[in-house]
Amino acid sequence: MPNINGEKGDLLLELFSEEIPARMQTSSEKQLTSLFEKSLINRDIGYGPITTFSSPRHLSIIITKIDLKQKNQIIEKRGPRLGSNEKAIHGFLKSNNIQENDIVIKDTKNGKFYFYLNQINGIDTSEVLPEIINEIINNFDWPKSQRWAYSELRWARPLRNILLLFNNQLIKGKVAIDKSNFLNFSNYTFGHRHVNKKIEIKSIDEYEKALENNYLILDRKKRKNKIINDTKLLLKEKDIKLLDDDYLLDEVLGLVEFPNVLIGTIDKQFMKLPKEVLITAMKVHQKYFSIIDDKNNLVPKFLFVSNTIPEKERDKSIIEGNERVLKARLSDADFFWKTDTSIKIENLNEKLKNVLFYEGLGSLYEKTVRLSRVSKYFSSLFKVDVSLAREACLLSKFDLVSEMVVEFPELQGIMGGYYTKLNGKPNEVSKAIFEQYKPKGISNDMPKTKLGCMLSMIDNIDNLTGFFMINKKPSGSKDPFALRRAGFSIAQILMKLKLNISINDLFTEALNSYKNSSKIIKLDLVDFIIDKVKFILKKQNFRGDIIESVFTLKGSQNYLLPILYQRVKCLNDIKDTNDFKIFLVNFKRLNNIIKSNKLSNISNVKVNPHLFESSEEEKIYDKSQNLDINLKKYLTDLEHQRIILEEIIKLNCVIHSFFEKIIVNHEDKKIKINRIKLLMELTERILKFSSFHHMEN
Amino acid sequence: MDKNKSFQNIIMKLQSYWMDRGCVLMQPYDTQVGAGTFHPATVLRVLGPDPIWKAAYLQPCRRPTDGRYGENPNRLQHYYQFQVIIQPSPDNIQNLYLESLNAVGLNFKDHDIRFVEDDWESPTLGASGLGWEIWCDGMEISQFTYFQQVGGIEVKPVASEITYGLERLAMFIQKVENVYHLDWDGLDKNKGGKTYGDIFSQQEKEFSIYNFEKTNSSVLIQHFNDAEKECSFLLEDKINPLPLPAYDQCIKASHIFNLLDARGVISVSERQAYILRVRNMSRSCCLAWIDKSNA
Repeated sequence: MPNINGEKGDLLLELFSEEIPARMQTSSEKQLTSLFEKSLINRDIGYGPITTFSSPRHLSIIITKIDLKQKNQIIEKRGPRLGSNEKAIHGFLKSNNIQENDIVIKDTKNGKFYFYLNQINGIDTSEVLPEIINEIINNFDWPKSQRWAYSELRWARPLRNILLLFNNQLIKGKVAIDKSNFLNFSNYTFGHRHVNKKIEIKSIDEYEKALENNYLILDRKKRKNKIINDTKLLLKEKDIKLLDDDYLLDEVLGLVEFPNVLIGTIDKQFMKLPKEVLITAMKVHQKYFSIIDDKNNLVPKFLFVSNTIPEKERDKSIIEGNERVLKARLSDADFFWKTDTSIKIENLNEKLKNVLFYEGLGSLYEKTVRLSRVSKYFSSLFKVDVSLAREACLLSKFDLVSEMVVEFPELQGIMGGYYTKLNGKPNEVSKAIFEQYKPKGISNDMPKTKLGCMLSMIDNIDNLTGFFMINKKPSGSKDPFALRRAGFSIAQILMKLKLNISINDLFTEALNSYKNSSKIIKLDLVDFIIDKVKFILKKQNFRGDIIESVFTLKGSQNYLLPILYQRVKCLNDIKDTNDFKIFLVNFKRLNNIIKSNKLSNISNVKVNPHLFESSEEEKIYDKSQNLDINLKKYLTDLEHQRIILEEIIKLNCVIHSFFEKIIVNHEDKKIKINRIKLLMELTERILKFSSFHHMEN
Repeated sequence: MDKNKSFQNIIMKLQSYWMDRGCVLMQPYDTQVGAGTFHPATVLRVLGPDPIWKAAYLQPCRRPTDGRYGENPNRLQHYYQFQVIIQPSPDNIQNLYLESLNAVGLNFKDHDIRFVEDDWESPTLGASGLGWEIWCDGMEISQFTYFQQVGGIEVKPVASEITYGLERLAMFIQKVENVYHLDWDGLDKNKGGKTYGDIFSQQEKEFSIYNFEKTNSSVLIQHFNDAEKECSFLLEDKINPLPLPAYDQCIKASHIFNLLDARGVISVSERQAYILRVRNMSRSCCLAWIDKSNA
């Protein structure tokens, strides 16, 4: 039903609070939108385009073209059955205060009844807005929220002001904080803390600008662009650039209302620390960006975004302040570095005996021993030196108890790499330890060395095996040990390096190293990795049904992965050819005949060529035998996958002419069974390559 | 040097600022604690009996593992916090805080002030809250927390806690890079003026040696067990428990645990068990305190 007068208005809501954690701001914009939309839709109020903003203290939404009135509502009331006595009808009219011509007759599944269709005029939107705002605020779901003073309301941080304009008018209303305290809707907000004054908003169009005049940039994108552009200006004409860090940039956006980009200097004495240490110390504690030269070396400068209005003197003292802080931070890091490098890594390794990997999964030291056991098998697969592999495993975890990694957990592996190098361990070993935590899931940031890949993979296999054993596998949104990521890392290395191993064999050694022989756990692990491999194939743009058709093969987990991968590729290459499409149609027909003629006791029956009555049967038989021979020889031969597939597709001809000329249902039962058996054998052989019936035409 | 910026003057200014805002000015608790929060004026008082409680006090704190033999310019095993606890949390508490910076000569409008998410949790106190660390030109100078729980009990009404790290704040105000160079009294050296180092470097050295090398773990473990026993003994009488003396034992146990930790004799799984034991003590004290307040 169209809006009676079709008039529309714009709305502005701003929820002003104390500083909301940076990580929650973006998603709160989305939530505000969806809650508001839901409230409007539930009330049959139409609306137009929506814009949202968030700064540390502001969370705002502008909804344009909202109906001024809710759409008219029809409330249906059922009266007496058709043919009821006068008294009943009269009573119905009276109780609803209506006349006889207000009622209609409607058919229901229980028969015909009198109905009163009460049309209620929609309420003014401005009247229901207070209710809607209350609904939104009370249903808002923050990742973490708090109470304050006597509040019964929870918010991420105390909610201090609610600005609400509809058609540029302040809407009267309030939201309860507790039983006796309310926040009345207002028509003002606040700008930057340094300005700290009430800003009255007279028109929604001026809202963003009014705040910007008070040094508050509401729009995250605008803040981001300002940071990017100011950075470019500052670094102009020098051969240096920012070390990109989108995650850090996003976080910084949530910490500033008016970004003021500044550059400070790193004290020279700290430049001898590993660059990862400098980058991490600056980023984690101080949210500073690192700056690199054209050779990717760190330069002794850092960039940071201050939340201030630019002013020369103040900028200067802010930079000095930050430089002093950084000096303190880096002298801590320097202390850790000196302490760690003065200890023998063997002593640190010894400490691992007292550090639990996880309750029920032994110490970290035991983990390294397990890895070294497993590495014997994997070193030949990865074609790496077995003794280097062993050493890398045994030294892979000591850095977890080094001072530096205790302070900066994200430097795990990296510090191990540096410390082993300083202790004169082989280069290959240090490199592998350095990059053992790559790739992080489906990232393309792979370890550069084979030994690094191996260490990464067997460490993840050990994690998966262990946590599956103690029943901590991921479920739903819960994955506290990041096992899905571990699974993806394994799959990524498997695929990238085209490792000659079956998924089934991946876990054999790890399970042995845990002295576990449970078949169920192994099956779970295998399914888990198959899932991840399929996902990665999909990301490589292979069609889902092609992947399924190969991975639903009976015993696919026992195939070497490159074979399965090759089949997916071959199928993908020919999927659009005419020959293949025709083959698929014929094969499905074949498969259906077998399915509809399921005979239980013919598995031991052999095809008897003497019962053939036609050349079509003979041809099928010959081709089928031929296929069988080739399958036996080449089914697991990488080079022959394409040839086998081509041979299968060529069967098209004989299958087709068989269907043209032969009827399976022969009156002689022997001949009938022989024909079914003939087709059945052929189908089974074809299905050894791929479950073609899962493929879409 | 400007006398107004001396360490002792900063303490005085904070005291008088918060005193003027209606806080009970208290003195440090006389037992070793890891943070100003441990003072019964915070932990127990926010649980009652009066829903209105405002207090401010200086509190020396001990963190044995942070000792650096007086050689690190930023880390100390003994340092000062200034603690403000106001219940219920006032609506203008952030502004009250910012103005307190002005009171110690740090005009917040001349600086980059940031409220950065930092939710606080004390596993030994069973306490948690939401809040921020407050940055001034990149330096964390205070912690700000809205207390949600203490001793595992909901804090109602919610209290706001502000903790100033006094050395950090003073280093910022005096623009000093080494804590030992802080001017304590604003007097010239030749007139007997003292720096932070004059007063504390010997103490830092000796206590670092004590904390890391000389403590006797079996004696400490015995002390811990004794404190735990004493704590539960003092709460045994359900009709007339003694939560305040019992809580003293809880704080003692907590400090002993920190000493054992610094000595490096606690394994990961033992660590959890110790924390749990202290938490049980603090919870029992809090419950007894509430019972008594309601009686």
